[in-house]
Amino acid sequence: MSKRTGDAVFGKRRKSCPFTAAGIKHIDYKDVDTLSQFITERGKIIPRRITGVSLRHQRMLAQAIKRARYMALLPFVASE
Amino acid sequence: MAKSRTHLYEGMYILSATLSEDARNKAIEKITSSIQHHAGEVHKIFEQGRKKLAYEIGKRKEGFYYIIYFSASSSSMPELWREYQLNEDLIRFMTLRAEEVPEKIEFKALVPTE
Repeated sequence: MSKRTGDAVFGKRRKSCPFTAAGIKHIDYKDVDTLSQFITERGKIIPRRITGVSLRHQRMLAQAIKRARYMALLPFVASE
Repeated sequence: MAKSRTHLYEGMYILSATLSEDARNKAIEKITSSIQHHAGEVHKIFEQGRKKLAYEIGKRKEGFYYIIYFSASSSSMPELWREYQLNEDLIRFMTLRAEEVPEKIEFKALVPTE
């Protein structure tokens, strides 16, 4: 109930999962361009409450990012 | 119950960028021959080229990336990893189970939502 009112007050900002929309079944760690859309400039994984990624895909995404980090495709910590 | 099955694997290898082309080919040869030595079969080798590492690994800033698809028995994998660890030209490696051998390595971009 209160959530509905919140939406009404602040406007509807329900995001849909970009991976579900694109029909992606597997997120590959080699796909650096896609992965880097979901990390901050510092290299941290962006929470799904901000990106709107579904739980299933967020788990795959996190796994893929961690693999990419190990293979030095993505940074663990990036300095600006 | 030590059952060993053959699986398809995808291995990513980072070779030292300081190697000459000959030495690099030899190093890749060494990796593939060790797979074959363990009764594995190499299906495809993708050369990803020289890339900047996202962070330094042992003072190295660049590496040569290779992706090799091969099938091997699960019991031979620990032995392969041991060999890789002893290989000094190999900066990093990762082997994962794969579903299939892709034609080429490319990804479709996410379509922007809304």
